[in-house]
Amino acid sequence: MPLEGLEDAELARRIAAAGERIDSAAESELYRRLAPRVRLYGLRHLRDPHAAHDLVQQVLLTTLERLRAGKVREPERIASYVLGMCRMTVLEIRRGTWRREQLLETYGGTEGYDAPEPVALDGERLAKCLEALAERERSVVSLSFFAEQAGDEVAKALGLSAGNVRVIRHRAIGKLRECMGEAQ
Amino acid sequence: MSTCAKPIELEALIAYWLGELGESAEAPLEEHLFDCAHCTRRLEWLAACAGGVRAAVREGTIALALTPRFLEHMKRQGMRIREYPAAPGETINCTLRAEDDAVVSRLQAPLAGASRVDALHSVDSGGGRIARWRMDDVPFDPQAGEVLFTPAAAALRKMPAHTRRVQLLAVEAAGERPLGEYTFAHTPG
Repeated sequence: MPLEGLEDAELARRIAAAGERIDSAAESELYRRLAPRVRLYGLRHLRDPHAAHDLVQQVLLTTLERLRAGKVREPERIASYVLGMCRMTVLEIRRGTWRREQLLETYGGTEGYDAPEPVALDGERLAKCLEALAERERSVVSLSFFAEQAGDEVAKALGLSAGNVRVIRHRAIGKLRECMGEAQ
Repeated sequence: MSTCAKPIELEALIAYWLGELGESAEAPLEEHLFDCAHCTRRLEWLAACAGGVRAAVREGTIALALTPRFLEHMKRQGMRIREYPAAPGETINCTLRAEDDAVVSRLQAPLAGASRVDALHSVDSGGGRIARWRMDDVPFDPQAGEVLFTPAAAALRKMPAHTRRVQLLAVEAAGERPLGEYTFAHTPG
């Protein structure tokens, strides 16, 4: 069966079973699948693409190493295990007890396996879609994403209720998805 | 493409991305995301959209009405802003230099009591070519007595000398009340 058809858990079990013989095909596939999830977690909690990239390497290279060494007790719950590693590592980064040098020392600067490139939108098309929004919608979207203001802050800035901002924001992002050809 | 039997609502994804969810709501959502390629893909799109909006503002590919805090954020991000305060009836000579990231007009107006403000824009490029458009319901700060606009700097850089006029209107139940008219004589930087 092609690896693409296997569940994450089955890939984790194959990696654990191979141990130091290293099933690089299974490792590469698991890395490819989990990298976007870890990167998004990093972006959400660290708000820094470089830090998110480091998090992907730290968490996934450590996970693969522990799978090979039989140190992951429940390989069938690999996604949950990786999430736990993300949470722990982000806490360490925030406390200042994690250093990038550790990553270099442990893994010798290896980049790990190939990860899919982050989704990139056509900037020109997005600008046109933003221009097509109503002014209020554009204000809410730009305050949310550029100024990184939560709904209640946007509400205060625009003299609206937080509930109203959530409605406008949802509608505006829905329109952007449609305009960008993303809506299903 | 992967599917999901119970996809996370778009509103919840947005709230998660903006850090609005409490820990008790965030934890199960993250558990789902780590187990679901479909919802991860939808969050990736949202993250890319957020990044695209930031880039559009930084690169000046969109025109915006601004709040004071938004303008402060632009400056904190290191953007170099050329600002032009303007009183009603005033004509301002303005430009956008190569070293500027954006130009902001600060339109002073008697905004006390206004609940909605619209802006009528016109750009006269000469030779009878006049473009007109209306921005409905722009954000404004009644205390500061100002409405802030930034035109799309990327487009402005390509434009020849022109005259831009903005008229602010208070929109009320009884109709529209003019708040001020402002003229910007733009020369390329």
